[in-house]
Amino acid sequence: MTLKKLLLATTAIATLGALAAPAFAQTTIRLVSKDLLTTNPDDVKEIEAIEAALKAQGHDIDIQTIDLPGGTSAYVDALGVMLLSGDIPDIIYFQGGDQKMAEQGILEDLNPWIEKSEHIKAALWPHNVERLANYPYLLYVYPPRAPQPVMRQDWLDQLGLAAPTTVEEYEALFQAIHDADLDGDGTPGNTLGLTGFGNTTELDSVFNQAFGITGTWMKNADGAWVNARVTDAEKAKIEFYARLAEKGLYDREYVTNTFDVKEDKFYTGKAGVIFGSSPEVIDIYAGKMRQAHPGENIELALLPVPSGPGGQGLAAVDVSKEARGWAMSSLSEHKEEAFAVLDFMASKEGQDIDRMGFADVHHTVGADGAVTFTDQISTWYARFFNAANWTPPTALLSPTAQSALDTIKADFTADNAFVWPADYAADVDAAEQVYRSWVARFITGEASLDQWDTFVSEYNAAGGQRMAEYAATVLGD
Amino acid sequence: MMAPGLLFFFIWHYVPIWEAKMAFEQVRIIPPNIWVGLKNFQQLFSSPIFYQVLANTLIISGMKILFVFPVPIMVALLLNEVRNGKLRGVIQSAIYLPHFLSWVVIAGVFIALLSPTDGAVNQVQQAMGFGTTNYLTNTGTIRWVLVISEIWRSAGWDSLLYLAAIFAIDPALYEAAEMDGASRWQKIWHVTIPGIIPTIATLFILNMGMFLSADLNQVINFQNDVNASAIDILDTYVYRMGLSTGEYALATAAGLFKAVIGMILVVTSHLVSKRLTGKGVW
Repeated sequence: MTLKKLLLATTAIATLGALAAPAFAQTTIRLVSKDLLTTNPDDVKEIEAIEAALKAQGHDIDIQTIDLPGGTSAYVDALGVMLLSGDIPDIIYFQGGDQKMAEQGILEDLNPWIEKSEHIKAALWPHNVERLANYPYLLYVYPPRAPQPVMRQDWLDQLGLAAPTTVEEYEALFQAIHDADLDGDGTPGNTLGLTGFGNTTELDSVFNQAFGITGTWMKNADGAWVNARVTDAEKAKIEFYARLAEKGLYDREYVTNTFDVKEDKFYTGKAGVIFGSSPEVIDIYAGKMRQAHPGENIELALLPVPSGPGGQGLAAVDVSKEARGWAMSSLSEHKEEAFAVLDFMASKEGQDIDRMGFADVHHTVGADGAVTFTDQISTWYARFFNAANWTPPTALLSPTAQSALDTIKADFTADNAFVWPADYAADVDAAEQVYRSWVARFITGEASLDQWDTFVSEYNAAGGQRMAEYAATVLGD
Repeated sequence: MMAPGLLFFFIWHYVPIWEAKMAFEQVRIIPPNIWVGLKNFQQLFSSPIFYQVLANTLIISGMKILFVFPVPIMVALLLNEVRNGKLRGVIQSAIYLPHFLSWVVIAGVFIALLSPTDGAVNQVQQAMGFGTTNYLTNTGTIRWVLVISEIWRSAGWDSLLYLAAIFAIDPALYEAAEMDGASRWQKIWHVTIPGIIPTIATLFILNMGMFLSADLNQVINFQNDVNASAIDILDTYVYRMGLSTGEYALATAAGLFKAVIGMILVVTSHLVSKRLTGKGVW
């Protein structure tokens, strides 16, 4: 009898325990990102900090990160194969290749979630709002990428010139850098005014509007939509770049330069001006410049966005969709928890973790609560978001980088680019190839600007014409 | 004893062939895939850039067969004539080394070497009174850069097989030739080359099977905006359109197209080789 009672009691306790378990159980969500790996101690520590903070808020979530090969290209390839094989994590970071997955219905529409979010909605930048309206599957809470030009402040001072404010003054500055022996190697005339890498996207960031390129699609004299790449404004801009290259002011080897070669030319004094792709990158450049010239305490000067014959401003921001960012699986069984993680990362507490690193490593907190960043902060980078409404307790950016961020905030114009249907993928690819090839040939002098009409014909034949016809249906009158 | 090897080939080389059916499907992550017949091939062949890409592939592959393929044979013949064993060892080691370098490194070396401002090649050109040439952005020279860098990387390593074939030639044949008063050149021409013809034929046939694979890694590392029109090949196109944008069915269609052409070339080369030399791959 006693044994029977004992067995009954044990069974009852076990059953109650099993029934109650879900209420207290930890939820496991799977997350894949190229910047969150189990092999990186900082990544592991950040995930642990996020889990602890979420738990304190009542969300007991175990975040399991999935390791995929490093490097953007390898990550994109491996992620695509993983998703195609049916292995779909709850939270996915995309850096391309997302559109195909969205078309297949495996990505969650984030708008309803953001609408009822506690933090994300307030953390969005203006371009995020527009991008989400057009393509609700990716979320990337960061300021727009708007490369801006910088140069050594001491060089600018030595030249005795004010920071350039017009296209002509930029050309004069590049010429002055080229002609002076600022690097002190005893040979004037061997310093490039400006260098870049790969293509002209960085330069376009400040020169597009100056030459009147207001967006991806512009109306011609007949009122028809044409791609800006085949307009007279574009031709004038390319003429300017080509003239700089011909005079030895712009690096004719930009096409074969990699980003590290570009930077190296800047640090070693072979080039006077380079573009920083974001405020954080500008600070990285400044740090590396000081490392390359110990004891000189070099500061970088941010050069203003120039005015030109067509206007002034940073290039219009493509708001058709995020080019990269976070997505949630529509097949996830833990959408609430997955979104809770993303929403937390946009909160003040989440941003404190993601932006400031760890106490006593990347920053210290004084007895009065004042935060001081250590030198280690230069090795830290945000893995999730850069919320528009988060302000660091102590300046996180240098005055130069902060000034770049302020320009980005103040100078936002939405572009009229849109997402291409899959049927146009080959046309977009072919037309892009033709454009990039001709632009590089114009600038390096392999082709003359007299051949502009040939370029336009080739561009249209490669798919540009079909694209323009489709654009007219999207953009209307 | 052969079972593990056969199993390996069956699992990793034959089973995946079944998935080539993806070329005829619209891939769905949530199954099932939808059968679309030849739609992916139509999309591939109707792309305005496809024929340029195909032409580039044929030209570059043709140049490599013409100019790269014979080099290891010549290297092996030359190495065989080096009588000093130590010297031969040093030369062999030196020319094998580039094979172990990745294309990223090799491209970096060539970009530095061919730089129009401070590259060694252009400095020599200038010293000799010629102007500078940007070999990497010139559509006329970039294919030659691919050929030469391929030779530099693979000639030493690829000569191994020919060298092994040369060492397998019966020494009695050389002795007989010497007794007949043959010079070194005549021994190469009448003994060594005929002795390695089966190896040359086999490797040539296998190379033909890879004819449309003009080396993705190499091209990607040398490609830039200016030269893309001259060296954009099937593999880079498939990579860009297929993997980067998630058009896996399109990529598979292009891969299948390549495989069928490769198969036809292998069979044709085999039959031609059988007729000309009596040797083939089977």
